[in-house]
Amino acid sequence: MVLKAFFPTCCASADSGLLVGRWVPEQSCAVVLAVAHFPFIPIQVKQLLAQVRQDSQVGVAVLGTWCHRRQEPEESLGHFLEGLGAVFPHEPWLRLCRERGGTFWRCEATHRQAPCPPGEDQVMLIFYDQRQVLLSQLHPPAVPPYRHVGADPTSPGGLAAVFHTVARCEALFRSDRFDEGPVRLSHWQSEGVEASILAELAKRASGPICLLLAGLLSLVSAVGACRVFKLWPLSFLGSKLSTCEQLRHRLEHLRLIFSTKKAENPAQLMRKANTVASVLLDVALGLLLLSWLHGRSRIVHLADTLIPVADHVAEELQHLLQWLMGAPAGLKMNRALDQVLGRFFLYHIHLWISYIHLMSPFVEHILWHVGLSACLGLTVALSLLSDIIALLTFHIYCFYVYGARLYRLKIHGLSSLWRLFRGKKWNALRRRVDSCSYDLDQLFIGTLLFTILLFLLPTTALYYLVFTLLRLLVVAVQGLIHLLVDLINSLPLYSLGLRLCRPYRLAAGVKFRVLEHEAGRPLRLLMQINPLPYCRVVHTYRLPSCGCHPQHSWGSLCRRLFSGELIYPWRQRSDKQD
Amino acid sequence: MAYRGGGGDGHPASATLSRVSPGSLYTCRTRTHNICMVSDFFYPNMGGVESHIYQLSQCLIERGHKVIIVTHAYGNRKGIRYLTNGLKVYYLPLKVMYNQSTATTLFHSLPLLRYIFVRERVTIIHSHSSFSAMAHDALFHAKTMGLQTVFTDHSLFGFADVSSVLTNKLLTVSLCDTNHIICVSYTSKENTVLRAALNPEIVSVIPNAVDPTDFTPDPFRRHDSITIVVVSRLVYRKGTDLLSGIIPELCQKYPDLNFIIGGEGPKRIILEEVRERYQLHDRVRLLGALEHKDVRDVLVQGHIFLNTSLTEAFCMAIVEAASCGLQVVSTKVGGIPEVLPENLIILCEPSVKSLCEGLEKAIFQLKSGTLPAPENIHNIVKTFYTWRNVAERTEKVYDRVSMEAVLPMDKRLDRLISHCGPVTGYIFALLAVFNFLFLIFLRWMTPDSVIDVAVDATGPRGAWTHKYSHSKRRGRNSEISKTR
Amino acid sequence: MEDERSFSDICGGRLALQRRYYSPSCREFCLSCPRLSLRSLTAVTCTVWLAAYGLFSLCENSMILSAAIFITLLGLLGYLHFVKIDQETLLIIDSLGIQMTSSYASGKESTTFIEMGKVKDIVINEAIYMQKVIYYLCILLKDPVEPHGISQVVPVFQSAKPRLDCLIEVYRSCQEILAQQKATSTNP
Repeated sequence: MVLKAFFPTCCASADSGLLVGRWVPEQSCAVVLAVAHFPFIPIQVKQLLAQVRQDSQVGVAVLGTWCHRRQEPEESLGHFLEGLGAVFPHEPWLRLCRERGGTFWRCEATHRQAPCPPGEDQVMLIFYDQRQVLLSQLHPPAVPPYRHVGADPTSPGGLAAVFHTVARCEALFRSDRFDEGPVRLSHWQSEGVEASILAELAKRASGPICLLLAGLLSLVSAVGACRVFKLWPLSFLGSKLSTCEQLRHRLEHLRLIFSTKKAENPAQLMRKANTVASVLLDVALGLLLLSWLHGRSRIVHLADTLIPVADHVAEELQHLLQWLMGAPAGLKMNRALDQVLGRFFLYHIHLWISYIHLMSPFVEHILWHVGLSACLGLTVALSLLSDIIALLTFHIYCFYVYGARLYRLKIHGLSSLWRLFRGKKWNALRRRVDSCSYDLDQLFIGTLLFTILLFLLPTTALYYLVFTLLRLLVVAVQGLIHLLVDLINSLPLYSLGLRLCRPYRLAAGVKFRVLEHEAGRPLRLLMQINPLPYCRVVHTYRLPSCGCHPQHSWGSLCRRLFSGELIYPWRQRSDKQD
Repeated sequence: MAYRGGGGDGHPASATLSRVSPGSLYTCRTRTHNICMVSDFFYPNMGGVESHIYQLSQCLIERGHKVIIVTHAYGNRKGIRYLTNGLKVYYLPLKVMYNQSTATTLFHSLPLLRYIFVRERVTIIHSHSSFSAMAHDALFHAKTMGLQTVFTDHSLFGFADVSSVLTNKLLTVSLCDTNHIICVSYTSKENTVLRAALNPEIVSVIPNAVDPTDFTPDPFRRHDSITIVVVSRLVYRKGTDLLSGIIPELCQKYPDLNFIIGGEGPKRIILEEVRERYQLHDRVRLLGALEHKDVRDVLVQGHIFLNTSLTEAFCMAIVEAASCGLQVVSTKVGGIPEVLPENLIILCEPSVKSLCEGLEKAIFQLKSGTLPAPENIHNIVKTFYTWRNVAERTEKVYDRVSMEAVLPMDKRLDRLISHCGPVTGYIFALLAVFNFLFLIFLRWMTPDSVIDVAVDATGPRGAWTHKYSHSKRRGRNSEISKTR
Repeated sequence: MEDERSFSDICGGRLALQRRYYSPSCREFCLSCPRLSLRSLTAVTCTVWLAAYGLFSLCENSMILSAAIFITLLGLLGYLHFVKIDQETLLIIDSLGIQMTSSYASGKESTTFIEMGKVKDIVINEAIYMQKVIYYLCILLKDPVEPHGISQVVPVFQSAKPRLDCLIEVYRSCQEILAQQKATSTNP
């Protein structure tokens, strides 16, 4: 089997010394983590390794020797390095050697117990960027999260083992450039923490502030949960109004942000960060909207146009009804039924207009207060807008319901009478159509009713069609608003930013590049982080939204429309859980 | 490697594929053919045509021919699958229109079928069943491409109603320049010759067969009470309405009589209603859809097999039942009287009264013990119909067909116009010309030389029997789909 | 060791297969399609602009002309960046894995690396593609739950679609490495 040696690029120019790392026997790969330089006292190296091993629970050991020939080759150094194998027993013993000025390295692996002929073991050198590997996060996570809790960190297989090793051995890298330890190590080093006073202060203050805000939030939610709101009309309204829904959603977000519990795994941390980014963006957009609305008396202007628009809509509806009551599109309808339906709807519109006029003096105030809600976030304002649209088009909703009920009644009647026509009946117990013999009276009455219903159907169907189209228009507008709200709610902004600026942080895997190669020397590969594509970033880190999933597919929607069942744009609360 | 000449496609085989040493196995007594079976009906759909195609293909593979099957996709089963002995099945993604038959425009299937015919180096197209639109399409395209064509008709048709008139006209067009037609019984041959206005010389009769080893009697599985078994699809053509009349009548007359009914279909509801109305839940068992391998287990539980078909070209079910040692009672329609000798079958008119009489006669014989033992019936029937025999006879047809010349385009047009009547003839001649132009266009788009020759799975140099040294290839699905 | 051979794809177009044998355990196959030809580019651009000019002469709105220029530019960019794949590379390294890289005409590269532990086998399979039946090379991935099952089929050279002779070439090389891998992993 080919022996693979993972070597950090930052150690390529280090002085000669010992290779410190981990040996993974099942894949026969050696992960070099650092180089310990001369001079050292072997016992101190052993102590250091024992300490790291305890901290990281990873079997770190001395893997072999590293020889960087800057100056003229010294025979004595070679012998000395060979002698070290006896001090740090390891199987196999690696000997990496970099020639002076040459780009090609020599690498040998020797087995002490069973000396096998050279060339049997091929060695492959794989360079990796220690910093990127340390900071990156593999997707999908190789170790399921629940196994993290257990004390035994069973190492994952494959390349994940390399990532795992590097990540666990963070303790080894803790010493920075300025540290003076007993053993001089060479590895990736952080530039040292610039201990800014502000950052420190923020860190100290964040704890109590979070506690305070969390307390406030729990108070708010306690008020929200009190019994007055559980009473019938309020709870019903609360479940139907998208504003309440959105507020509840945001409250949950805030509670998540300010919770004092530490995030357990990277996914949770990322979720928290994404939530913060989403809330901040939302509020910023909301404030922009607020400043636009309250500048230069736009509210008054808006209120002045709103009432005439509502009036205009009602008038147009009246015209439409009058058109339907005549001979719409040249269709000949049942005159009596047509008149009855038309008058009924006209009366409704009349009621509606008087209601609007009653409301008109207060509209400006209402709008002003609604505008204030934008400071809670753009999403809240948008949800309010959606609710207002729903309220202003209440008459259309009523018409639609009446039309749908009538139409459905007729369709059901027709379908059961059609079965009677063919001598069949619906067996409700067995859920199938049985044959059945009817007597003469039943057949006679049934046929009569069937004829009547069939001839009245076009009139009802036309009313149903027109009002369904209107209703669909309103639903589509509301759906668009909800989509926008959902987008703001669920877009993982932080992850996207991370992907944009630090692509190696979110790794989908690795990729290899074959470096220049010379016959007889070990193959050299460069391992790079393969960043997660944007679509998968969005998919993985999408925040759970409050569920604007379409309830029906297009096919089932059409079927429901045809059979006259009611369609609702309202979100299903049960969907929220997933 | 798969190219053996004889076809109309004169282009060299790709040289890169000749890994198997050529000529080493070219010692068969007759010439081998590359046959492509085309039908809409194949497994996982169940029925007579399907098993016919499968068994015939297996026997032809055994005799050293290369056989592939082309059918349409069944649900999730699309693409290319391998069955036992490397029988390759192409499930083409074509839209199913009605009753598992694909929609046809006469053109849309040409690119795929042409590609398959070329890459498999097919020389003979063998279409099955006149209900299958794909089979007719394939015939039409094959003639345009200049390949030999054979057609097997599995069903009978009337002449009276509108649909029959239309279908018969289409059959006339489709078969008028087909090289050879195979029918499953003499009645069927008569019917087909009349319907398609054919020359009887080019129509052969090769009956269906059953695998006698699959249908062995097992008298110990029978109960003491008399059991009548019906195994058929529950559709109008199979006479399910007659069955619903027979069940209550006989059940009232004989208290120890039981029915076992296997099969599924739109008429099942009638039988369920009869069962409920006469409270026969314990005596009439409806098994629902049966797998082909379970049929034998159902058959051996009964004493009498009842077949109520209203039209039938060759009834495989009664041969299977007789092979299991059951007394067969059947309607006297179509090719059924030819199938079994008179001492093994009781023939009746297709009416409730006549069928009841026939069944009573059978029950009387059973009670009086004058029926022959199941083993004896099995031994007699065993010799009648075997797939090897069918394959041999079909092979003769192929040999004859491969000698014949395919009509060139001008003669084909002449024949269409002269043979199919003035209006239809001209329309289809025009369509044939269009098809030819389309083919030329396709040949220009992807020349035959660009198409890879498929690796032979069956046939004399098949990859299935020869293990390549280091080029084992297997379809991902071949393990899954080795079901019959 | 490096050599280059010329093959054709399933439509008859030319493909160049470069094989680089870095070491016995590491091989690279690189299939490159011909680059975007100036002729087809000119043809498409001219058609779009002529159509735009026709529309312009009909409705006399100069917006159409500028829109046409924008559309051709955006279309070309999108085509080069997302559609046109110039080169597909299969790098197979013994005991490490298989890496597939496709480089777009714009220089974008998308890479997938599959670890050897997940690879069950490499096979040539047949599929119905558009109005053709083609052979393709694919990598079978092991099902982590069921050892003999296949969890996924990853097609290789998806955009180049070489013909069978080219596939067999690659297939044999890959099988040699896989055989090595199997031999060493069973008796280490």
